[in-house]
Amino acid sequence: MPYDDSKVLRRDVLKGTAVAAAGAVAASTLPTNAVAATAANTVQYAMVIDARKCNGCHACSVACKTENNVPLGETRTWVEVIEKGEFPNVSRNFLPRLCNHCSEPDCVKVCPTGATYKREEDGIVTIDKDICIGCKYCVQACPYGARFINPISGTAEKCDFCLHRVKEGVVPSCVNTCQARARTFGDMNDPESDVAKLLATEAVTTLRTEVGTKPNVYYIGADHTDPKTDPDQYVRIETNRRQQERV
Amino acid sequence: MHADIHWGLPIILYFFLAGMGAGAGVISAFVLLRGEGNANRYGGHSFSIARIGALISVPMVGIGTAFLILELGSFEVGNYFRFLMLFTTVTMSPMSIGSWLLVVFMGVASLYALSFLKPDAASGDANDGTRRTMAMLMIPLGACVAIYTGVLLGAVPSRPFWNSPMLPMLFLFSSLSTGVAAIMIIRVFLNSESEGKEAEYRLAVSDFGLIIFEMLSLFLFVLFAFLMVGNSQDAILAIFSGGLASTFWIGVVVIGLLLPALLEARFLTPRLQGGAFAAPRAMEMLIPAAIIVGGFILRYVVVIAGQVTGPVGL
Repeated sequence: MPYDDSKVLRRDVLKGTAVAAAGAVAASTLPTNAVAATAANTVQYAMVIDARKCNGCHACSVACKTENNVPLGETRTWVEVIEKGEFPNVSRNFLPRLCNHCSEPDCVKVCPTGATYKREEDGIVTIDKDICIGCKYCVQACPYGARFINPISGTAEKCDFCLHRVKEGVVPSCVNTCQARARTFGDMNDPESDVAKLLATEAVTTLRTEVGTKPNVYYIGADHTDPKTDPDQYVRIETNRRQQERV
Repeated sequence: MHADIHWGLPIILYFFLAGMGAGAGVISAFVLLRGEGNANRYGGHSFSIARIGALISVPMVGIGTAFLILELGSFEVGNYFRFLMLFTTVTMSPMSIGSWLLVVFMGVASLYALSFLKPDAASGDANDGTRRTMAMLMIPLGACVAIYTGVLLGAVPSRPFWNSPMLPMLFLFSSLSTGVAAIMIIRVFLNSESEGKEAEYRLAVSDFGLIIFEMLSLFLFVLFAFLMVGNSQDAILAIFSGGLASTFWIGVVVIGLLLPALLEARFLTPRLQGGAFAAPRAMEMLIPAAIIVGGFILRYVVVIAGQVTGPVGL
């Protein structure tokens, strides 16, 4: 996509979302996006990551850590490096990872206190850290390894799509900072949003669909290679998280 | 296998102690109710067996629950009473249901244990009504406490090792057999022996049966995971190769199941052929000790193996 300054501060676009959603309720004849088939009348923030554009600079990880005061050794978003093949047929791909803000989040299902919940108004999965007891059940339940226990607060933590920014009509910090413009954020149920357009026009994939969580982070051109599913070729996955192996 | 172990020794100890305590409570209630009206069934020892089970159940589950709270992230950073948030709501999370279940179980088990507390407590005394009522509640509640830990682990598709319907059954039979074993070993230390070893025979028979069912559950647990493709199969390989394999095969299968089952079979067979049950005291101590050690290692292997394996593919 061509560079568009409005994507840096999309206050207007995001504010228009509520109006667009209300309009969608009134005019139910609007064409429904195939990807956004569920609950088309509500806001569901989503992210589309064009992995072809990512050059693995980790600016998103750094911006996120600064924005959200993420403790040392932990990351809310991180970039995986996937190396595979034998010379000369080799590839090195980057895969930015974050919470998928699933439509059927397992972390919400297992939370014993209701501290983790999916916001009805915008579909963001977030944590009330005044209620979280730090039982780590959600850390176990997340198929994407997106969660960790904050060693200072003792509560579960993860990406919340920069809720404090999005509420003010500003895109998440990682989207704002991405040098390659690989990340696009918006309401996938609003047909006029950039994510909805990308979802309608590009071939997108999601991660670990077989666990049934219906993730809302979509990838264009993602390398889904995993050492366990490709035991016959050389595959090396590098993450910048404390654990050196993909979880 | 570099993934973080989020649930470590405290959780393993909780699963082990709560399972054993709940199992001892169930066995205690069962022996009490079964022994009534048939004084010879346990060689006249049904009340004393029930008493041991009742008195160990509460501290075991209590200490286990204390370990559980110790491992909470909120407790580790000094929010010591944050865990009470569990009791401000009821959700469909197995952990929420389990927490409430633990509270109800602890209440019933405490009343049940209190009815045995007086030194001259005996069948037919003033507490008999309470004791009987609580015993009837103990059986379903104890079974639920033993099962729910398996359901809790099994409820997450992201942990394919745990995500199996056989895990709760495995935990239930392991809990009951470690519960019997705890009662057996305490009886040895108390030097309690019934006429013609009738009570010892009854306990050994039930324990033998429970171990057989535990073996079957474990066999089916491993078999079905192995027959699956992808996630479950990959996860179950953690106990066939790698660092956990020897712990599993020696600790769980040999020490926890085969050794006690074979030894008990050795001493139970003569009685089935018309002879007497004559296990020496050393064996009566070794068998339950092996079962208890095996029960702990089973929880250890399951909790760790679940966390070092994950979904296959991205």
